[in-house]
Amino acid sequence: MVRYEGLLLAYPQIAQTDIENLEAAINKIIHEKEGSVLSFERWGKYRLAYPVSKNEYGVYFLVRFDIPEKTSALTDLKMLFETKLNTIILRNLFTRLSFDQPLAYQRPKSLEETPARESEGFSREDRRRDRDRGVDRERDFDVEEKDVMPVEEHIVA
Amino acid sequence: MTKKIKLKISSRLVKKKMRRTTNVQKTCRFCTDAEYKQGLDYKNATFLRSFLTERGKILHSRISGNCAKHQRCLAHSIKKARMVALVPFAAQYN
Repeated sequence: MVRYEGLLLAYPQIAQTDIENLEAAINKIIHEKEGSVLSFERWGKYRLAYPVSKNEYGVYFLVRFDIPEKTSALTDLKMLFETKLNTIILRNLFTRLSFDQPLAYQRPKSLEETPARESEGFSREDRRRDRDRGVDRERDFDVEEKDVMPVEEHIVA
Repeated sequence: MTKKIKLKISSRLVKKKMRRTTNVQKTCRFCTDAEYKQGLDYKNATFLRSFLTERGKILHSRISGNCAKHQRCLAHSIKKARMVALVPFAAQYN
């Protein structure tokens, strides 16, 4: 048996039914070749390091499975992602794992896990992000006329 | 009467010598720290980003202090992470 790990990058607007279909398709191929799926995890939504097919965001999935040696399961999976499921999957990466390697891993926090950004943040990076989103921060700082207290002028003789 | 000659050493040279002597021998953290080594994985993007420059280039081992073996492992995992858009190939021009 050989252990593999696959990281899949999906479109950000992936529907729940698509996720179920994806999992079912992976399970089907691996069970056909008498392998076993260890885990199928959804990481969550992420801001990508660079736009992939004009997508700024993406959803990651991690699959781990054991398959017997000298089977076409891995090539079948790759073919599936690049042809039939290419409306869902943007990128795929398969790596081989050794059996003595621990299955625990660390991953970056997704957008759903990170708390909303504080409005006080005014660093250079924040400003750049705002510009990307088209948010005008200057507008928030404009004081409305009714808020301003009239100042009496004292003329000193 | 003989004239005393005072040897002058330029301040620049002194500074240069100081810099050379204060240079601490760097050791590879992956070799010494087992916990640190566990973080070396292509999925751990936040960790890998600490080995990139602002422009997204891989830091030289001379700067990070990694040994050749672990620098190779690191470069491999960064390149893998780049393929799945976890780590940038280059900084974005805005």
